[in-house]
Amino acid sequence: MMNWTLALPEAALACAGLAILGAGVLPRRHDMFFPISMAVIGALVLAGVLVLGQGDGAALAGQYVSDAFARFSKVLVLIGAALALTLALDFNQTDRDLARFEYPVLILFAAIGMMLMVSANDLMTLYLGLELQSLAAYVLAAFNRDSERSAEAGLKYFVLGALASGLLLYGMSLVYGFVGTTSFDRLAEALTAEHAASLGLVTALVFVLAGLAFKISAVPFHMWAPDVYEGAPTPVTAFFASAPKLAAVALLTRVLTQPFGELSAQWGQVLWLVSAGSMILGAFAAIGQRNIKRLMAYSSIGNVGYALIGLVAAASADPAVRSEGVRALLFYMAIYLLMTIGAFAVLAAMRRRGRPVEEIEDLAGLARSDIGMAVWMLVFMFAMAGVPPLAGFWSKLFVFRAAIEGGYVWLAVIGVLTSVVAAYYYVRIVRVMFFDAPGAAGALDARPASLTVVMAATGLFTALFSVAPGPLLAAAQAAVAAIAG
Amino acid sequence: MTQPLLADYFPILVFLVIAGGVAAAMVGGNLLLARRKPDPEKLSPYECGFEPFGDTRRRFDVRFYLVAILFIIFDLEVAFLFPWAVGLGEIGWFGFWSMMAFLLVLTVGFLYEWRKGALEWE
Amino acid sequence: MAITLAHYLIVAAILFVLGIFGIFLNRKNVIVILMSVELILLAVNLNLVAFSSALNDLTGQVFAMFVLTVAAAEAAIGLAIVVIYFRNKGSIEVEDISTLKG
Repeated sequence: MMNWTLALPEAALACAGLAILGAGVLPRRHDMFFPISMAVIGALVLAGVLVLGQGDGAALAGQYVSDAFARFSKVLVLIGAALALTLALDFNQTDRDLARFEYPVLILFAAIGMMLMVSANDLMTLYLGLELQSLAAYVLAAFNRDSERSAEAGLKYFVLGALASGLLLYGMSLVYGFVGTTSFDRLAEALTAEHAASLGLVTALVFVLAGLAFKISAVPFHMWAPDVYEGAPTPVTAFFASAPKLAAVALLTRVLTQPFGELSAQWGQVLWLVSAGSMILGAFAAIGQRNIKRLMAYSSIGNVGYALIGLVAAASADPAVRSEGVRALLFYMAIYLLMTIGAFAVLAAMRRRGRPVEEIEDLAGLARSDIGMAVWMLVFMFAMAGVPPLAGFWSKLFVFRAAIEGGYVWLAVIGVLTSVVAAYYYVRIVRVMFFDAPGAAGALDARPASLTVVMAATGLFTALFSVAPGPLLAAAQAAVAAIAG
Repeated sequence: MTQPLLADYFPILVFLVIAGGVAAAMVGGNLLLARRKPDPEKLSPYECGFEPFGDTRRRFDVRFYLVAILFIIFDLEVAFLFPWAVGLGEIGWFGFWSMMAFLLVLTVGFLYEWRKGALEWE
Repeated sequence: MAITLAHYLIVAAILFVLGIFGIFLNRKNVIVILMSVELILLAVNLNLVAFSSALNDLTGQVFAMFVLTVAAAEAAIGLAIVVIYFRNKGSIEVEDISTLKG
């Protein structure tokens, strides 16, 4: 009757989450982290299989939609969550506070929230999915309870995240008031009519955009990202930089292209500024950083700027450019997700005598002590800098091409120039690894096997992407057809 | 034009007058009729450990926050039960089992906090 | 004077702005920030219910229910994080939150 079976992946994952939570808390033991993590990875994989078998259609009284776009994003979200958890396996077990079984369970609940976000077909579903993801993320940021930095990261993330949710909600309440519905389908119908560009609706749209820009840490709502990325434990930062970002960008894409598609003239201009600002800030603010997690935060701000170029192109009047833009955006986020997790696997492996180290100088002489890890890091840094033929080159090429075809030449020029600036700090890391003499503190510890798996999986994808780009392109194409047809 | 609006609120005025009268009668009755037997025990903390009199701005145990947090979550989630109960006739078995699933989720959460010892004071 | 939709919206807008200012201008205490967040969510709820009544459509009230419950969960998590922070730092003054900066 409500064809809830369409939402089977989320339902199965939620049931698995409850069962796993019960299984973790019922035995009076303290070494549940590893088995529960394995169970959660299993549940994420199972959900991924269920997503692949999902059909098209709307479910739950039109609140939830399953289409190729949602499935594409969900598979990537699940891959991101599973890899981020794998990355935590060894890191967390070295610290009594981090090795608690709630960690994987929170990642699982955040994954459900992200899946709901990308499948939302109503402002209510959007809000609930976003909050489920955010609430789990606040706790994860403060997960290292005895660390002042982690607690501060959690507090900052919470306060600014709650503010962003408030802005978003206020905007949604105005949208509801002006149009009289919260359903994406009916919003799209109503907005084609005379409503389209009333001042009130544009105000509401600005609030919604501000709230979502915060969640993807785009300029001018980026200020939380460097602090939170630096303060949170490294595996948590890896998670924040990957799956939630992709889910939030996908959500933004759906909201702007479907219900607010008719207002593209308004949001296109705003996003142009947001995109250019993020690229510029991401390139220049990262130069002076010494802490590598902080540097990655600025890098992720810049990457969101590049991805948003695709969304700016999706504001174009020409349908061909629109679908080109969304495709470039999805393609960019997919490659960014895997590159970022790979780079964070290297950061998580940075330990000296058991203690995590986070300065760029700690990588000095890595090529001599651990050439394997240095080569993987080189792959990720060159890919992020956009060196051909690595995956990061193609993703940048696609967004720039979409921008030029849509007539946003200046945006493409800013993109290319900031890429050059950003290449400077990526290459600096490579130089430190390969040409600087090791510091007095000695070599880094041997890397654990689980991190090697993550590095190798994402590194091989990044390095060899040019060999077989077809499947990802085809999947992105199918996803685009579902929303920007 | 204001007259009907105010008339709607007349019962509340009556209610306020009666409530104030009953309260005044009780306090006044106590003052007039009760026997007075001062005792230091009557001024000592009891039950939740608070000083019965003192500065309102002093610190108190963070564990009160925990109890309050646990209470407010369950309290507010139960707010969903009211519209559900009113609409149960129309939403049928699907609605019924949806609420059962929701309550199951709450139960698992309760189980978690119970096993974690969040409900024990010490 | 009859109370119209505009009055509700103005009250909600005032509450919303108070909440925003409470977050940005407050230099004293993190708990005040939590209260400001609640104020913002309250403003949203007022908006939703007022619109729901004016449009004669129940969606807004359903939405308000969801916002209400999520706000409770959010407040709980916020308080928990504040408690953790206090245990580490021994203070919840807003000006002390500055260990992390670039």
